[in-house]
Amino acid sequence: MTATDDRVAVETGDVWPADTDEDEGVVVNWFLSEGSRVEAGDDLCEFQVEKVSVDVPAPESGTLDEIALEEDDEFERGDVLAWIDPS
Amino acid sequence: MAQQEPQQTERSLTMSRAMVEAIAHEMREDDDVFYMGEDVADYGGIFDSTEGLLEEFGYDRIMDVPISETAYLGAAVGAAQAGMRPIAELMFVDFFGVAMDQIYNQMAKNTYMSGASVSVPMVLTTAVGGTYNDAAQHSQTLYGTFAHLPGMKVVVPSTAYDAKGLMHNAIRDDDPVVYMFHKRLMGIGWMPAPEGPKTGVPEDEYTIPFGSADVKREGSDVTVVTLGLHVHRALEAAESLTADGIDAEVIDLRTLVPLDTETVRESVSKTGRLVVVDEDYQSYGVTGEIVASVAEDGLGDLEAVERVALPDVPIPYARPMEDEVIPGVEDIETAVRNANE
Amino acid sequence: MVSGNELQEMYETMVTARHYEERLQEEYLVGKQPAFDISAGPIPGELHLAAGHEASGAGVCQHLRDDDTVTAPHRPHHIAIAKGVDLKRMTAEIFGRESGPSKGKGGHMHLFDPDVNFACSGIIAEGCPPAVGAGLAAKKQNTDSVAVAFLGEGAIDQGAFLESLNLAAVQNLPVVFVVEDNDWAISMPKDRITDVENGARRADGFDMPGTRVDADDAVAVYEAAREAIGRARDRNGPSLLEVQVHRRMGHFMGDPEAYRPAEDQEAAEQRDSIERLESELRAHGVDDETIEELRDRARERVEEAIEWATEQPEPEPDDAYEDVFVNPPSGVTDSEPSLAETGGDD
Repeated sequence: MTATDDRVAVETGDVWPADTDEDEGVVVNWFLSEGSRVEAGDDLCEFQVEKVSVDVPAPESGTLDEIALEEDDEFERGDVLAWIDPS
Repeated sequence: MAQQEPQQTERSLTMSRAMVEAIAHEMREDDDVFYMGEDVADYGGIFDSTEGLLEEFGYDRIMDVPISETAYLGAAVGAAQAGMRPIAELMFVDFFGVAMDQIYNQMAKNTYMSGASVSVPMVLTTAVGGTYNDAAQHSQTLYGTFAHLPGMKVVVPSTAYDAKGLMHNAIRDDDPVVYMFHKRLMGIGWMPAPEGPKTGVPEDEYTIPFGSADVKREGSDVTVVTLGLHVHRALEAAESLTADGIDAEVIDLRTLVPLDTETVRESVSKTGRLVVVDEDYQSYGVTGEIVASVAEDGLGDLEAVERVALPDVPIPYARPMEDEVIPGVEDIETAVRNANE
Repeated sequence: MVSGNELQEMYETMVTARHYEERLQEEYLVGKQPAFDISAGPIPGELHLAAGHEASGAGVCQHLRDDDTVTAPHRPHHIAIAKGVDLKRMTAEIFGRESGPSKGKGGHMHLFDPDVNFACSGIIAEGCPPAVGAGLAAKKQNTDSVAVAFLGEGAIDQGAFLESLNLAAVQNLPVVFVVEDNDWAISMPKDRITDVENGARRADGFDMPGTRVDADDAVAVYEAAREAIGRARDRNGPSLLEVQVHRRMGHFMGDPEAYRPAEDQEAAEQRDSIERLESELRAHGVDDETIEELRDRARERVEEAIEWATEQPEPEPDDAYEDVFVNPPSGVTDSEPSLAETGGDD
């Protein structure tokens, strides 16, 4: 997978639950597959921290170019979940 | 029965989100629709059945109520008779015992007892099913209990696509509908779903008619009839049975009342072998009903019959025992092999 | 203060209800004497007559409109009459005829009249939650209609009643609960079912006004109900009333009442609310002739209803398969099950 420079990272920093000290999450559901057209704000996926579920919106419109973390993958706060190609 | 093919869609939804999408749509269209239950507002439903609805519709239409099922389920009946279209949630179907009088002596009978001068257009949503070690009082499906008593339509979705279309139909129906959603299929993070219930779901509204069973997998050797979670277990069994050269057809009933016996009979007339799989208790239940309904008019077609259901014991707590009693993929495979001998 | 006109209306309602029960008693016993056979005679099933309860139905329903909802228990006739349920059709239902509002599927414990929002049911306190629901609908639809749930004192220990008091209170709903205390829960006197002599005190636990009307007195019921229903209509929340009535015709027809001391029955009959209201009418200057006119009109209405009802045909056996759903799925109703084809003897 060749990352082009203008791809936008999908991250969880903005939506991380406020009332937890936990820094690890798990990807629960992807609602779109690679290659899907997305609009900014569309829910891309859902991750879980402890028993709290959080939706991750698309930061930009474009194409869901690459899913970096699949369902059931664990990750740390700040990790990139996916890349959107805004072209 | 005509089966709508899922439209091409890039978007996949969990079953709970598909249900919620249909409810939200109907609430936007009709001010008389409201949702009432325990922990449905701020919490969003213990099993995500109302997740996100409070933000759009507020506390008047997404109503938390006291832990008082007799009062609020009966109030839903009264509100329905007064022209509203309530959706009332019984948190676990196992709790029906504290409120069954309102459910089966009012909700289910008032239409008949009034000679249809009164209608009760309400949906009773309820979470069903085990597989997560919640023991005897929080794991039942009780499909047969509700389907046995006349006057209620009984809906059991197995996929997000079906869940949305059936929910639209349930809310629009002028009769009481019991909508039984399996916890394990909802797509909740803390209770991971198997492969299958998360499907493509069109953003537009659509309905799936009650009484239309869905052939989830075509096959020529054995007919497997099931519903809810066990649709996915049956599909998994069917895939693995291809290694034995057995081609199983899997039928998802989708509604128990009305029951689409026609689709089942057609399939059995083709395969000659019937396996019924149910997560409810075996005796006096769905498995016996399906077998009897096929035998009544198609006894000559039947070469073999097998039932796979919960044996007649309460659901135990510890994992080895729960796994023993709730039908698993291997149990289905064994039954299909036996039928195919 | 209650007006003379309203007194006359209540009196006519009460006399109609009393005469109705007396006439149904006669009709019901046809074919059941000397030996009582519940399956014999022109009126099917059980019959719970409400003679002695008239003050409650008349005094409460005097304040109600057609768009107000009433749920009644298994002893419903006096309430149905006071609420304005069509008497002819209701009588046809009681006789099991197809012209009844339920086409003969309901009977005397399951009378429904959506035109005046009346329903009753045969299970103790069961009508309380639906009345709360009607109140909830009124609140949501932003109307000023109210709901009244009637129940007997034998029902005040039921969860459905207590849960409904709570839900109506916490949601601040326009509902009035009316407990008709006739001293007897079938064979159980009130002091053996509860330690609380005044059932209206059940309201205290829900921070709701509770009032007991201690005498068999339609005017006192009227006054107490005016306050409770007015409070509901003004959106000030639910209330509980307990109304003393008495039971003149046993729990149901055929009840030998061997458990009931003769003096209790006699004492109850002495408290006749109809005689009491008649004195009240005279005190308001209503003359004998007018009172006799009201009585005649009530009798005539009852006779007409019974005559009409008994002329109506019985339902066809196959009608049993209709009305399970208003939107019947094909193949589930409206078609005779295959068993009937093989099980019949014709």
